[in-house]
Amino acid sequence: MLRTEKVLQLRSQQGRSVRVVREHYLRTDVPCRSALCRASCPRDGKLLSDDVTHYVVPDWKVVQDYLEILEFPELKGIIFMQTACQAVQHQKGRRQYNKLRNLVKDTRHDCTVFANEFHQDSYQPREKGECMEKWQTRSIYNAAVWYYNHCLGQMPVVMVTEDEDAIKQYGNETEGVFVISFKNYLDNFWPDLKAAHELFDSILQARHEREIESQENKGKEYPEHLPMEVLEAGIKSGRYIQGALNVNKHRAQLEAFVRLQGFGSKETELQSDILIYGARARNRAIHGDVVAVELLPSHEWKGRTVALCENETEDKTPADNTGDPMPTGKVVGIIQKNWRDYVVTFPSREESQSQGRNAQKILVTPWDYRIPKIRISTQQAEALQEYRVVVRIDSWESTSVYPNGHFVRVLGRIGDLEGEIAAILVENSISVAPFSEIQMNEMPVSTSKNPWKVNPEEEKKRLNLRDTHLIFSIDPKGCEDVDDALSVRTLPNGNLELGVHIADVTYFVAANSYTDVEARARATTYYLADRRYDMLPSVLSADVCSLLSGVDRYAVSVLWELKRESFEILRVCYNKSIIRSAYKLVYEVAQGLLDGDTSVVDDILELKDLDERTREKKLSELVWAISKLTDIARHIRAKRDSCGALELEGVEIRVQLDDKKNIHDLIPKQPLEVHETVAECMILANHWVAKKISESFPHQALLRQHPPPRQEFFTDLQECASAKGFSIDTRSNKALAESLDKADDPLDPIVNRLLRSMATQAMSNALYFSTGSCSEEEFHHYGLALDKYTHFTSPIRRYADIVVHRLLMAATLKETKDVKDKLFSNKDLEELCKHINNRNRAAQHAQKQSTELFQCMYFKDKSPDTDERCIADGVIYSIRTNGVLVFVPRYGIKGAAYMKNKEGLVLCCQGERSEWKPGSLQRFQNRITSTTTTGESVTLSLFDHITVKILVQTSHCHADTIKLEIIKNTPYQTSATEVSKKNFGVVKADLIREVSQSAEALSAQEKASSAVIEEQCLEYQEYCQTKGASLYQLLEEIRDWALLDVSADACSC
Amino acid sequence: MAALELLSDEGYRADGRRATELRKVRARMGVFAQADGSAYIEQGNTKALAVVYGPHETRGPRSKALSERAVLNCQYSMATFSTAERKRRPHGDRKSAEMALHLKQTFEAAVLTELYPRSQIDLYVQILQADGSNYCACVNAATLAIIDAGIALRDFVCAGSAGLAEDAALADLSYIEEAAGGPQAALAMLPGSGAMALVQMDARLHHERLEAVMDAAAAACRAVHAVLEEAVRERAREVTALLGE
Repeated sequence: MLRTEKVLQLRSQQGRSVRVVREHYLRTDVPCRSALCRASCPRDGKLLSDDVTHYVVPDWKVVQDYLEILEFPELKGIIFMQTACQAVQHQKGRRQYNKLRNLVKDTRHDCTVFANEFHQDSYQPREKGECMEKWQTRSIYNAAVWYYNHCLGQMPVVMVTEDEDAIKQYGNETEGVFVISFKNYLDNFWPDLKAAHELFDSILQARHEREIESQENKGKEYPEHLPMEVLEAGIKSGRYIQGALNVNKHRAQLEAFVRLQGFGSKETELQSDILIYGARARNRAIHGDVVAVELLPSHEWKGRTVALCENETEDKTPADNTGDPMPTGKVVGIIQKNWRDYVVTFPSREESQSQGRNAQKILVTPWDYRIPKIRISTQQAEALQEYRVVVRIDSWESTSVYPNGHFVRVLGRIGDLEGEIAAILVENSISVAPFSEIQMNEMPVSTSKNPWKVNPEEEKKRLNLRDTHLIFSIDPKGCEDVDDALSVRTLPNGNLELGVHIADVTYFVAANSYTDVEARARATTYYLADRRYDMLPSVLSADVCSLLSGVDRYAVSVLWELKRESFEILRVCYNKSIIRSAYKLVYEVAQGLLDGDTSVVDDILELKDLDERTREKKLSELVWAISKLTDIARHIRAKRDSCGALELEGVEIRVQLDDKKNIHDLIPKQPLEVHETVAECMILANHWVAKKISESFPHQALLRQHPPPRQEFFTDLQECASAKGFSIDTRSNKALAESLDKADDPLDPIVNRLLRSMATQAMSNALYFSTGSCSEEEFHHYGLALDKYTHFTSPIRRYADIVVHRLLMAATLKETKDVKDKLFSNKDLEELCKHINNRNRAAQHAQKQSTELFQCMYFKDKSPDTDERCIADGVIYSIRTNGVLVFVPRYGIKGAAYMKNKEGLVLCCQGERSEWKPGSLQRFQNRITSTTTTGESVTLSLFDHITVKILVQTSHCHADTIKLEIIKNTPYQTSATEVSKKNFGVVKADLIREVSQSAEALSAQEKASSAVIEEQCLEYQEYCQTKGASLYQLLEEIRDWALLDVSADACSC
Repeated sequence: MAALELLSDEGYRADGRRATELRKVRARMGVFAQADGSAYIEQGNTKALAVVYGPHETRGPRSKALSERAVLNCQYSMATFSTAERKRRPHGDRKSAEMALHLKQTFEAAVLTELYPRSQIDLYVQILQADGSNYCACVNAATLAIIDAGIALRDFVCAGSAGLAEDAALADLSYIEEAAGGPQAALAMLPGSGAMALVQMDARLHHERLEAVMDAAAAACRAVHAVLEEAVRERAREVTALLGE
């Protein structure tokens, strides 16, 4: 190593200029990371491929400004010089830098970093008087030359720069090293990559305008943000408060809330959220940003709006009815920007003309209400009127009312099913390209002619359970991806052995393989209302990893030895195994066998072709196993109830079920006991695996926690319940469960359902976390009342399970040295957990939004005045100052119904029809009364049944929404009510089917290809049935799903 | 500006070293003739000077003298010009008093004080330029000075520091790495026996990580030992050459 020194002139904290000397070591062993290298560079890790036509070295300015283009997977052989990376880090901030780092880490992208400043031959000390920019360009050029020579001239190197002088100076200096501008590069090397060219123009234009604007420097619209150091110091001292900005969906122009993050040392007295009122106080922060907030003096505090409102126009009038004043503040700085891609719509022709002189700049309206309008420059505005397009925000100067952005790509036509689904995916940052060839190449081969077989080598290493154990799986009908199977048997010593067998996905998905990287990025399988996007390629999920009956499969088995009578757990072991499932049962069949119902036997395929005697024998074995399993599950459950006081969990399942019924047709009204049996076994397996991995890896195990809910979230629930005369005790999970059981109105089962769903909404989300970053008390799972819990049983559908599988393997196997090395460190794991939690949330959002989309499409074609189906029974579950919130059980829709319309007229129900008349509204705690000037009055109270009409409110820029209108203040009574109550669930499924079919019919007409329909139908069926691989997982998902409503509702109140 | 990256994904620290590499160490013994022993050491940009007087009769009150061993008197100071901004450093401030105490404890464990009853050994250490791991530089310089003075030592005392960044242990911290605020440990070791004379650790660290950090520090100590030994041999050659004349 060669030691040199760098002298820097820095500013000290007091503002004086300080001379700082830093050591700078140069070395010769900096690896070039190219596959072409003939020298003895170490070749571990990711290498730059050698089958490209040239290597590209982007200049620092290019990396800073055009990183988005460099992210195109088509661009290969990119060498990021350390100098350029550091320039990004210093000038563009952490977010941009992390983007660059992730790009380099991603094995799918062919790019690498060369630490040019640490290499003895490529380092160029900065000369006296040389400006920083020139020096950076010179360093990068020299490094490019070095790289060219290092590869012995085998590969031409192209340096792209925006610096004209550099092109002139270095252009012809070295043969084989070309220096050209970025535009020139794209034109010459990628003339066909249209998307990159468009993006380039768009970025260039946006930058150009920014420059012009900053020169004009007109009056400032917003106060400047404070510098980062001031913010950090302020947050430490408690003067500013840090939190994530959450814009109110219903009053996006005016109201936003900041939820506190990481309580500082001093402001503990501040428990609630902070209101940010108005655009100026919000100061250019966008929904999701992490901001620093300064509290206003308390006499300026405002209350949040309690009235219902529609998000239409820019409502500048201050709301007249507000609640109690709450802490109010203003944004002083943005700590982290969380900008993403936004789906937007161009204004209609008339509107764009009214926008005035500058025809090139257009204000587009984002799909998400919470995002402000974005100004972009494009000539294609006319052509793109009817399309949903994606834009990105570039900047938001203090001189500009709206942020500046640029156009990225087109998604599809407005109102078109595919376009709208694509919009939902983009809004949730879900990217689901089909699996690439390189990923498919890693997959094992399995076709119907040539089915996949076990490897004899591998067979020796695994525990063979094929002949000794009776293994079977219980799943919903038609399920393809079976990831769990069960077994139970009597051991020679009389004790019982219970086994849970989970598909061994990690055997096929090696850590850091292309498939693994892709699965990590997806993190979960996405279910939308009519389709799903798999996390793993279908050859794994539906075939090689699926524990089908009658074929050999690799599995990870957890085996417990239980005491004969007391079912006490004596021993547990975790094994890699090889199994052959004997039966693939359906829930209903298993329940039939348990109940002694022999008619279901005919449904068991595996028993069909046997003679009577073997059949009897096999059947009795199976029945014994299932009933034993049920006994064990009952027992474990009872034990958990007694020591963990865990009534809530059972209740929760029922809550979910109730909610479930109107969302899906899958769940029968009465849950079968086998559902609980399977669920209990899965919980047991998850729990024991969690114990094992957290013991073996105390600081880098992935677990799942469920923090206890905050008490103040229960106030809504308690108020509602007291309206019906019930009291809810929320002090512990057991008390809550018991009081919820009691709060049951025999006349109206919906009351209990609503209360339960409110209780569910008050819960916090269950989250994945790394054990190294939490103290042990926080591991607790409130819902299940277990001290440790994780997800282990569905590796086909969840990435977290794959990580847990790897951890378990490392914890149990002997030859773990290299396995251990591949595990995530605490920091990486924590990041991964955040990512997975994030993706799960996105998956739930997308699912919910797609369901709403289908609801709207269903009602859109119906004319509300004539169609029976648009009139339904509704239950009031919340009272607002100008209306009520209504739940329509038949369709599972929640929505607002107004009692005062925009002209100020109030609702009046007389006989069959309701009318709007002048009058006034009065709101009480549990009821709302409208009185007309003529003296007629209507009173609606909580939990009243009313008749509502369902309308669709179409919107050009946003998603369509469902609107409710009160028709009568009495329950809706027709014979149809009875019928619909019976077929509750079916209605919903019909709805989805009908919409997707009509969409398909349309596409079929266009393409005239029936194959498409069949495929989609198939996919639909698959979806419906694979969704609930086991009841427990399904409930988990739905619970999380239900929790989401909380944010939406919290915003509307 | 984003926070400084202590260890990049490619495995380089801010100054181009890898996680386990030390800065360049240069040492010289016998820099002053008037003192009984003296030494100068550079560890990267951290430069320290150590001077030893004694053993001699105790100064001051007689009661201070110990009948069965020597008294070790240590003083630590930093030059006003040792940091980027000149700063007057009053004698005996808390930081230097603490450092002096640490030095004293370290060397009481290594010097064979029982050979010099009723006497006193004075050890003065000054940091000329501070750039991280000051304690380690002081210990290493002091060891050489004591050897130069011909005072009996059990073994060399070698010191090394280590910290933690991105879950990897960094050896021999520089100033910017110390200032980043992560955990840092300083370890003084007798490399022959592997015995530890002093371990100092300021921040909270999970005990799982402690081993990695201590290993890095111990490895740094052993590397320093090789350099110190070479310096002693060099000095010995010089002295014998003088004697030969």
